[in-house]
Amino acid sequence: MTASGHALTTEHSPVAGLAHDTRGGISNPILGMLLFITSEVMFFAGLFGAYFTVRASTNPWPPGPEQVGEGMAEKFNLHADPYLAALLTVVLVTSSFTCQLAIWAIRKNDRRGLVRGIAVTLILGILFLIGQAYDYSQLGFGLTDGTFGTTFFTLTGFHGAHVLGGTIMLSVILYRAMAGQFSARHHDAVEATSIYWHFVDVVWIALFSTLYIL
Amino acid sequence: MATTALHPAVPAYRSGLYEWITTTDHKKIGILYVVNSLLFFFIAGLLALGVRAELAQPKVQFFAPDVYNQLFTMHGTVMIFLFIIPILAGFANYVVPLQIGAPDMALPRINALSFWMLPLGGILMFTGFATGGAAAEGWTGYSPLAQRAYSGTGTDLWDVGLVLIGTSSILGAVNFLTTIFKMRAPGLTMFRLPILVWTVLVTSVLVLMATPVFTSALIMLFIDRNYGGHFFDPATGGNAILWQNVFWFYSHPAVYVMVLPAMGMVSEILPVFSRKPLFGYKAFVFATAGIGALGFSVWAHHMFTTGAVFLPFFSLMTFLIAVPTGVKMFNWIATLFRGQLIFATPMLFALGFLTMFLIGGINGAFSAAVPVDFALHDTYWVVAHLHYVLFGGSVFGMFAGLYYWFPKMTGRLLNEALGKLHFVLMFIGFNLTFFPMHMLGLAGMPRRVADYSANAGWSDLNLLASIGGFTIAASMLPFLWNVMLSLRNGEIAGDDPWEANTLEWATTSPPPPYNFDHLPEIRSERPLFDLRHAGAAHSALPAKYAETHS
Amino acid sequence: MFRTTPTRLASVLALTVVALMASGCASMIPGLYPPTPVTAQGHDIGNLYDIVFLIAAAIFFVVEGFIIYAVIRYRRRPTDTELPPQIHGNNLVEIIWTVIPTVIVAYLFVVSWQTLNTVEATSQNPQVHVVAIARRFSWSFEYLGPDGKSLVNGPDGKAVELPGTMVVPAGQTVRLSLHSPDVIHAFYVPQFLFKRDVVPGHENTFDFTVDATDAGQTFRGQCAELCGVGHQGMSFEVQAKTPAEFDTWLQQQITQAKAVPSPPPSGKAPSGSPGASPSAPPAAVSLDLTAKNVAFDKTSLEAPANQPFDIKFTNDDQGTQHNVDIHKDSPTGQVVFDGEVITGPDTRLYQVTPLPAGTYAFVCKVHPTTMIGTLTVK
Repeated sequence: MTASGHALTTEHSPVAGLAHDTRGGISNPILGMLLFITSEVMFFAGLFGAYFTVRASTNPWPPGPEQVGEGMAEKFNLHADPYLAALLTVVLVTSSFTCQLAIWAIRKNDRRGLVRGIAVTLILGILFLIGQAYDYSQLGFGLTDGTFGTTFFTLTGFHGAHVLGGTIMLSVILYRAMAGQFSARHHDAVEATSIYWHFVDVVWIALFSTLYIL
Repeated sequence: MATTALHPAVPAYRSGLYEWITTTDHKKIGILYVVNSLLFFFIAGLLALGVRAELAQPKVQFFAPDVYNQLFTMHGTVMIFLFIIPILAGFANYVVPLQIGAPDMALPRINALSFWMLPLGGILMFTGFATGGAAAEGWTGYSPLAQRAYSGTGTDLWDVGLVLIGTSSILGAVNFLTTIFKMRAPGLTMFRLPILVWTVLVTSVLVLMATPVFTSALIMLFIDRNYGGHFFDPATGGNAILWQNVFWFYSHPAVYVMVLPAMGMVSEILPVFSRKPLFGYKAFVFATAGIGALGFSVWAHHMFTTGAVFLPFFSLMTFLIAVPTGVKMFNWIATLFRGQLIFATPMLFALGFLTMFLIGGINGAFSAAVPVDFALHDTYWVVAHLHYVLFGGSVFGMFAGLYYWFPKMTGRLLNEALGKLHFVLMFIGFNLTFFPMHMLGLAGMPRRVADYSANAGWSDLNLLASIGGFTIAASMLPFLWNVMLSLRNGEIAGDDPWEANTLEWATTSPPPPYNFDHLPEIRSERPLFDLRHAGAAHSALPAKYAETHS
Repeated sequence: MFRTTPTRLASVLALTVVALMASGCASMIPGLYPPTPVTAQGHDIGNLYDIVFLIAAAIFFVVEGFIIYAVIRYRRRPTDTELPPQIHGNNLVEIIWTVIPTVIVAYLFVVSWQTLNTVEATSQNPQVHVVAIARRFSWSFEYLGPDGKSLVNGPDGKAVELPGTMVVPAGQTVRLSLHSPDVIHAFYVPQFLFKRDVVPGHENTFDFTVDATDAGQTFRGQCAELCGVGHQGMSFEVQAKTPAEFDTWLQQQITQAKAVPSPPPSGKAPSGSPGASPSAPPAAVSLDLTAKNVAFDKTSLEAPANQPFDIKFTNDDQGTQHNVDIHKDSPTGQVVFDGEVITGPDTRLYQVTPLPAGTYAFVCKVHPTTMIGTLTVK
């Protein structure tokens, strides 16, 4: 606890605590976002748990020609053609960097840098979504095609939904940044959004490694 | 008294409907939670009466098996997700910011959002009755029974309703943790937090870690049912045990979500009415954290008979979780020893919690012994066990809290005579309903059966249980009458009717918006006690607290 | 005033409890004791139950005793004007009441683990291998030879499931494999003190040995995992015979199955009939019956006496389950035919075995109070 906290003992202003934390350190919205992301991690842990359970009980994985036929087995073999997904990984990881550049900019009160960084991040995010939609259209199998199809589309689909959510948050941040609502002192929303965006990025890296490489 | 009242004692909030719908005040949201949860409690109670009416005698009298299955499914789901969990969250919503000297929750608008998802989820679930039948697979919703081939639209509504309610819980947990970490008054260190706040903290961690896994399971079930997925149905390559694993990974910690805050309430109430501090404060904190941690490693004890889990590990963990629970029990009893016990209604319900929760803990040990569980699993023994924990524990604890904080919430005390009548009827009815279920389970009566043979020898005990069930229902009448009566004409409570210990009693009843004008100095976990007995009880205090009084 | 110290109190309580135990507490309250076990494994579980029960009862009496004592002894009296001593805790007692429960649960864990190992132990060569097939809402049993192939086969060489009753030799080790083609069920015989889930896609197997002295006895069993609308009626019987009687019985089944093309459901209340089997020849008489809006379209049917007939049952209720049961005399009388429950829209051809002339009731067992009609057989 800070020294100023002590001084507030008799003059404690309760209303001030609502809008702003008096105890220094991490702010309420950012702590809230970190906790929320903890719950998101557990959500994906549930989906990954299901994926690995199914995978462990299916031999070989992905299901081979004996199980699903020659054509489907070839489509299931994502390891053979991970290039589009790898490109998408590069797009998303780059967007994480540009997002962080925006954060560093606004921490120095550089509002133009913030707008620039967020705009690039948003474009990369949308690019990722378009790329994933294209990928889906080329895969040749669907959600109903066995446990492989179900787990693949559930995992990537929920990740995609999170990217979509992130781009919506980024759009709001971009709009507010262009309206000049953020400053070095006041940009909790930007920090919270960037933490979320990094999280979405990390989930994708985990997904890419599990589905395309391992 | 150094505390000053900003406003005179005012009757309950009189603000309009619009204010209640749009409020972000944690106190109003807390009351909304409590009222909403009690409504669902009465609805789910009626469903239980339906179950007991049907089982009172062999043969089908009132409800055909398809309707009967909906009754107990909705009874379980509603009691757990729309009554016990949210009413405890409601009390926490009201009390935690007050106890830590905060003006409100950290994220007030998210707080309002968390609440409003509850009635929405509940209504969705109940619309199942109008779409050809509500969910009927038991509250555990085991696949493949919960798959499209065996169940109707009601199960989809159940699924979506639970996703909403789960999201409400998660957002609530985020809010509680942020509030407790960030909004404590100066001087209120972690080891001076009231035990209730500690239990809410640990509960919130459990919700944060476990509920999302349940949400993922519900979403996978929804994909299976509606989009042709293959997660849980072995007929199409899925895994039926997978559902049970993800379901119980949440639903066992959920038991602690349902019981820890009730333990916290009892830990607030017993010291106040014994005129002593809580015995072993730190042991309590560690035991709470220990229960929370162990709570994540016992889920498969619900699955001993599936033949698909590693039995010794989960058996050991289940036995071990009895240790911190026992530590709490002994500390509560030590709190009573050498005290001056006052048997006001909150204290009676707290003692009811102690005596009944003890049985729920002991009969749980039977199921931890795996071979004994082979005999008892999925029989009425389990129904008895879970009700001794969740009714004997959580519901008694909840009523203790309700009688205790009602004066803070409304400015008026509940009537003691009616309160005692409520307690006595409920205590008798509860034991009459659930104790015979031990015997029914041992005698081989499986749970979730709509009917049983007249030759099975279960008729008398079932009749007894049904009489008990209606006695519990009757005990709600003096309670409701008491609330109606006391809201209008109850004795004015004043700031601190119980001579309590914690900060919520340092402000008016009900508290003004943003709660406090001035806070007393906080130098222990009992700031109000210190204030009341500054100097007088000096010698009685341990040295570590003594130097702070000037 | 005489002050009882907690330690003295504890010893008094403990003595009382020990005295109670010595006088056979468990047998004094038979309601809190499981049925007398009839299998070797059940005896082990029963013995473990004894240990757990004794410890649980002791803890119950001691702790509730402390609570009641505290409530009576430390109630506030009018003379109490000063605060009681403000004791905040005591590390020594915290350690004591952490260690003692730990020791108790460790002991319970060890004994239950030991029992688990004997209960779960499987024999190298069990004398009999049975497969229990649990389907909504009936049980049937197949008998396997040492080579894992079915012993009781029809003329076409296909395994024949014997419905409703499992016959086992007393005193011999029986291996039971559990199989479900639909949802999860649980094999539960209260007198075995044992149950095991029947999980589709996951075969569970265990051994049991019925006591030799229990030959000639019949034990009631029931599905213990909710499986739908017929769950409460999904029961079976376990019949223990002497090994010699069992061998005779099994030979009988083998010969009978070979001779008869399609074994008719046993005469007494069958827990389930195989429903429509497409290979069987159509019966001379076929009745139509439709369920719509949770009601039958007919309230009376007629059928010829002493010859098989069909019921062509149509369920027109989207998503709702119906079936047709035939009861003797009244809707609550003995079940003489139990049709498969189907979810609408769907159709089944029920093949009903010959019935003697008389009055019967046909009932949907999902809606037994509302869907009722009269069947006259003459």
